Amino acid sequence: MSRFACVMVEYFSAAAVERCDPALRERPLAILKPRVDRPPVEREGAPAVERAGGPSAKIMTTVEANAMAREHGVRPGMTETEARARCPALVTRPWVEEHVAAARHALLEAALAVSPRIEDGGAGLAYIDTVGLERLIGDPATIGRRLVHQVRAIGLIPRIGLAASRTAAQIAAATGSGSVTVIPPGHERAMLAKVSIATLDLAPDLAATLGRWGVRTLGELAALPREGLTARLGPPGLHAHDLALGLDRDPFRPWTPPLFWEEAQGLEWEIDSLGVLAGVLETVLERLCRRLAAASLVADSLEIRLSLASGGHHARAVALAYPMSEVKSMTTLAVLDLEAHPPPAAVTRVTISAHPIRTQAGQGGLWQPPAPAPRDLITVLARLAALVGADKLGSPVLVDSHRSDAFTMLAFSPPSDTATGDRRRDGVSLDSGRRLALRRLRPPRGVQVEIAGERPVRMDTRPVMASAGPWRGSGDWWDLQAWARDEWDVVLADGALCRLFRDRLAGRWYLDGFYD
Amino acid sequence: MGDSLTPIRGEITEIVGALSSGRTSHLLACLGDVMGRGETAALVDTEEIFDPRSAAATGIDLRRLLWVRCGSNREVALRAADMLVRCPGFALVALDLGERVPRLPTTMAFRLKFAVRRTDVALLIVGRRRLTGASAALAMETFREGIEWAGPGPAPTRLARVRTTTRVLRARRGVPERQPPSWWSA
Repeated sequence: MSRFACVMVEYFSAAAVERCDPALRERPLAILKPRVDRPPVEREGAPAVERAGGPSAKIMTTVEANAMAREHGVRPGMTETEARARCPALVTRPWVEEHVAAARHALLEAALAVSPRIEDGGAGLAYIDTVGLERLIGDPATIGRRLVHQVRAIGLIPRIGLAASRTAAQIAAATGSGSVTVIPPGHERAMLAKVSIATLDLAPDLAATLGRWGVRTLGELAALPREGLTARLGPPGLHAHDLALGLDRDPFRPWTPPLFWEEAQGLEWEIDSLGVLAGVLETVLERLCRRLAAASLVADSLEIRLSLASGGHHARAVALAYPMSEVKSMTTLAVLDLEAHPPPAAVTRVTISAHPIRTQAGQGGLWQPPAPAPRDLITVLARLAALVGADKLGSPVLVDSHRSDAFTMLAFSPPSDTATGDRRRDGVSLDSGRRLALRRLRPPRGVQVEIAGERPVRMDTRPVMASAGPWRGSGDWWDLQAWARDEWDVVLADGALCRLFRDRLAGRWYLDGFYD
Repeated sequence: MGDSLTPIRGEITEIVGALSSGRTSHLLACLGDVMGRGETAALVDTEEIFDPRSAAATGIDLRRLLWVRCGSNREVALRAADMLVRCPGFALVALDLGERVPRLPTTMAFRLKFAVRRTDVALLIVGRRRLTGASAALAMETFREGIEWAGPGPAPTRLARVRTTTRVLRARRGVPERQPPSWWSA
């Protein structure tokens, strides 16, 4: 037997804005959108009349109002002037599509954390297939409370209905007295019978017809003969009858989350300071991370898209060294990246998208020595990369070559196991005693060397007191990078113990470094 | 290097000495000790003189070493070290300042001291002269005492080993001023 839950967020466009600015929940809020009034079509041949303000005038119209604004009589469709006349303390915000889209996705992702089978019912509406969840979570009321918890975690306040069909669940959510309303199996028709027909949001002409017939409740509509209703009202009437019975006409269409999760913030004024922008980035990332946390996911990459006052866009991809959901670390990385690559103009809108992945937490060993926490390490590495450059940072790796200074750099990622690396893996023999270190000069410094009987006796102006060599080496003779050199270890008069080498291909002497 | 001269966690240790006196070999030995315990370390290399091949021969697991090259910019090196000692989890942060050691304000030295104490990181500073003054818990100077050469004939063909000794300049705990000599094979 199928069971569904419906998550409904009332006045969704207003709720989406309140999610970005929670302080607005305590104030009457209206979301406005410009309505373009077209001038009447001029008659052919009649002279065009020039109007003030151009050929069309913009009028700000209310598209949504929150519960407090509605208490003062503000309704969608009112002009801003009319709404302010009814509610002088009204706060208005422009309708931003990204806010609504982000909130809609956030709602679906929160539902996805409870059940893998969910359906997008439109803005502020999600259906959840709850079959099998009883064994995981508990009875329907507990499932409903879990949904409330998940949706509240992303900054929205939901109403939950649970019933045998999506239609019944939606009606239960819309008409229930509490945040969670459960219709027991088999009681759908009885529970819906007293609900007003206005709940179904029928087409105006159909609602007017039913009103003329005296049909006021779903029970009265459900009691009408189906054939007669079809003959008089056609398919819309049949559809309304199904809804009144709490039957679903459409198949369940499972929703799959997009590849990237996105959050956006429109700005009321232009931002040209990175410090202020950091605050906005943190706010947007906070919302994004709340969504990730609600679905038990983490992000492995970020994309920042800044809309500029000049009309262009500034996009940056921020690679995360490890999957994370910490706001502070993400903000630091984003700010450091923007410090290195600042936007060319003032910013008017911030959009951040994250690629979500699922990770499994690992447990450290009992005898494992403490290592830098990933969130601390990634932050300090990003700061160091900004300070010295990313190419000057990392772990050296020896290259399989006889060239004495052959190495490459890898990103620093210490192994998690306690075993030390195989010290012979790079072909380097390890003696039991202490090894003398060489302080390398990079690049080797060209020097003038005076020779007596093939042995160096003076380097530049410094006499050589003792020397050992030559130690001959060569390699890559099959390549353009061929090298051949004779190495000498020498002690200079000032006590410095250094390594010289003669490039046999170029015939020049170089100071390779100092033993220290 | 004896256990009494190993860098102390949560404290600043300084190794000073002339060129070729063995201070860099001491530095690599300290890094090798840390790696031997499976811990991670960072090296702030002011003059970019670190030789990975020498380090690998010493027994350093290079995967556990964060090497920060500072292009001979001492101010950048000090800032990098300051960042690293504030990151808990590193067992050792080594700062190699090379031959030209900058003047460090006393306030900066105390800042470093309290940072390493808070994060329990051992900060090892290597250079020509001392940097942090009274903020260092242990300071020592290295000297070269002798060189041994090797080769099949009468003329040596290779440097065999170098003997150095260490004199303790400052120690909070009882450490003999003169330490036994150390041999470093080339």
